[in-house]
Amino acid sequence: MANLNIDSVKDRTYDAIVIGSGISGGWSAKELCEKGLKTLVLERGRDVQHVKDYPTTNLYPWEFEHRNELPYSVQQENPIVNRCYAFHEDAAHFFVKDQEHPYVQEKPFDWIRGYQVGGKSLLWARQTQRWSNFDFDGPARDGFAVDWPIRYQDIKPWYDYVERFAGIAGDKDGLPELPDGEFLPGYPLNVVEKYFKQQVEAKYPGRKVISARCAHLSKPNQIHIDQGRVQCQNRTLCQRGCPFGGYFSSNASTLPWAAKTGNMTLRPNSVVHSILYDDKQGKAVGVKVIDKETKEEIDFFAQVIFLNAAALNSNLILLNSTSSRFPNGLGNDSGTLGKYVAFHNYSARISAEYEGLLDYKTDGRNPAGGGYIPRFRNLHKQETDFLRGYAAGFGAYRSASADESGIGADLKNAILQPKYGNWGVGSHMMGETIPKESNYVTLDGQKDAWGMPLLKISVDYDENDAKMKKDYLDTMEEMFTAAGFTNIRRNESSQAPGLDIHEMGGVRMGKDPKTSMLNSWHQLHACPNVYVTDGASMTSTSTQNPSLTYMAFSARAVDHAVNELKKGNL
Amino acid sequence: MNRRSALKQMFIMAGGLMIATSCDFSPKSPSIQLKTISLDKGDEDLLAELVEAILPKTDSPGARELNLHLFVMKMLDDCTSPEDQKTFLAGLKAAEKVKGKPLADQQAYLTGLPADDNFFKILKRRTLQGYKNSEYVMKNKLKYELVPGRYDGAVKMEG
Repeated sequence: MANLNIDSVKDRTYDAIVIGSGISGGWSAKELCEKGLKTLVLERGRDVQHVKDYPTTNLYPWEFEHRNELPYSVQQENPIVNRCYAFHEDAAHFFVKDQEHPYVQEKPFDWIRGYQVGGKSLLWARQTQRWSNFDFDGPARDGFAVDWPIRYQDIKPWYDYVERFAGIAGDKDGLPELPDGEFLPGYPLNVVEKYFKQQVEAKYPGRKVISARCAHLSKPNQIHIDQGRVQCQNRTLCQRGCPFGGYFSSNASTLPWAAKTGNMTLRPNSVVHSILYDDKQGKAVGVKVIDKETKEEIDFFAQVIFLNAAALNSNLILLNSTSSRFPNGLGNDSGTLGKYVAFHNYSARISAEYEGLLDYKTDGRNPAGGGYIPRFRNLHKQETDFLRGYAAGFGAYRSASADESGIGADLKNAILQPKYGNWGVGSHMMGETIPKESNYVTLDGQKDAWGMPLLKISVDYDENDAKMKKDYLDTMEEMFTAAGFTNIRRNESSQAPGLDIHEMGGVRMGKDPKTSMLNSWHQLHACPNVYVTDGASMTSTSTQNPSLTYMAFSARAVDHAVNELKKGNL
Repeated sequence: MNRRSALKQMFIMAGGLMIATSCDFSPKSPSIQLKTISLDKGDEDLLAELVEAILPKTDSPGARELNLHLFVMKMLDDCTSPEDQKTFLAGLKAAEKVKGKPLADQQAYLTGLPADDNFFKILKRRTLQGYKNSEYVMKNKLKYELVPGRYDGAVKMEG
């Protein structure tokens, strides 16, 4: 139990508490500390310090005991996380193992998690597109979910702000559906990606192929050097943690910056149980933590609390924060807490070959991954029988390979003298799914090793997603054919939601406290000194990757919180 | 990351394997410690001959010199399903008839197995995986760059 003597309470009192140290928590911490607030950052996992705690980062392929495969037993014990594309020998230590942190799947949901300082910011695929008014207008225009309480103009200056610090490589493409940002130089498309761009843009007005925008230092500015980060070295081994700080992570960027102010106290191994609400004061007063190692309960106190535990865990914490004022979870007057969860539809891919441009190859590696096709479906008008649309990745690859069919000296010679064949091209969809009340998370009766109720997840695809998937495959097949690609292979995946690792919602923003949890500043309508700025706050999901928007939301919300504190409003 | 100490811990051989220092050195024990399967020194020697039959020494080292038989054993022990382990061990036992025979006979035996023979498939896949990812090949032949530091998406090829 908590030790409640007076001095101890004083020792456990801060100006602000941030729950979670991933992409959004890192930003909340940096902004609060820079603005002079003594800030406690709580992280449920272990500490991971930049460079020092990246044990595999400099290993050559032959230095991995199993050449980057995971032992059979590890794969069998982890059927869920084993489906994640990055769960291999080099990065397995940054993923939550299935049995350590169970949850209840009312419907199949592959919940991929990173419990450590830095969270999934060590593991993300680093794609960073701004959202546009086509996204923030979406629910109001198309009549689903609720209207966002903000528009692009509200968040634009904060995109500028976070992009300058994080370092985003991209081209200025001048597209209203994908606003330009404060970019470092973009990574150029390769010769076949450029060819496809020309073909698509000539034959399909309104469709674009651009260089993928990504959180890599293609050409660092002084602000990045000041963070101790240097130019991305094109290793594309990012999931191991980058010793150059070549890509943006909390570990390389925001957390050390926050620490430098002297205002940050980082407490790893702190499982947040709940946010403490005081009925008399009518506000949140602190956070109850269970020490991961000792299982001791400790209360910490602050004037303002930022919840950045990652989308579904932020839901879990609020649902578990009950009081006589909020018997159904903190701030849950609307009854919407845990509902309207949505995600991205990544369940289709298409690949092909290109028999042209065979006198070209690539050299080195592209950390951006190649091209990006911004959403073009239902953009200016509703033109299909499904709502919303999809963006897509596009990449072309050419590497030398050998005929490995034989045996003996001939086989060995073939392997040692690989030949360049046709180009390979591929694309994957990133579809917007519609937040619905029937997609929800709630608390289960079972508890985990720390006494936290297990999260029960009930989230699934719907008919809209199926129609969208078919349209993506048909449309891409047509575009590939038009570009002269051959051997086209459509690939439908039966993967469950979650594997996209873009779960969003449950604590959505909205204008009306009767139908939403958060106001336009990310404050709980009913408990304004609690801000939620991670994926839980998303009203709808757009087709763009969400992480950059979480960063901008966090910086904007901290600015608001500090101003409100100064005015005595919190 | 302290590379030096990591390397020291791993005691890397040419094939990139850790030799267990705790195993007993009786003449019948294999060179690496196995956890889930049981193989003796005789099996190891046969495996060494078979990987060499797949990738023999030419003007560059063959599979045996690169210790790829140990890599195959390691992957069989750690990264293979129990069913595949069983088929592999049976296949290895059957291959004993070509032990000590000339390379050409061993190659003829392996290529004479049915096209879907799981023993040969696993043996060949792991041998090639170990070879292409070996320190020798990655440093001297198909050069691997840990830190390319560049990307050029349109390199004109000669000829």
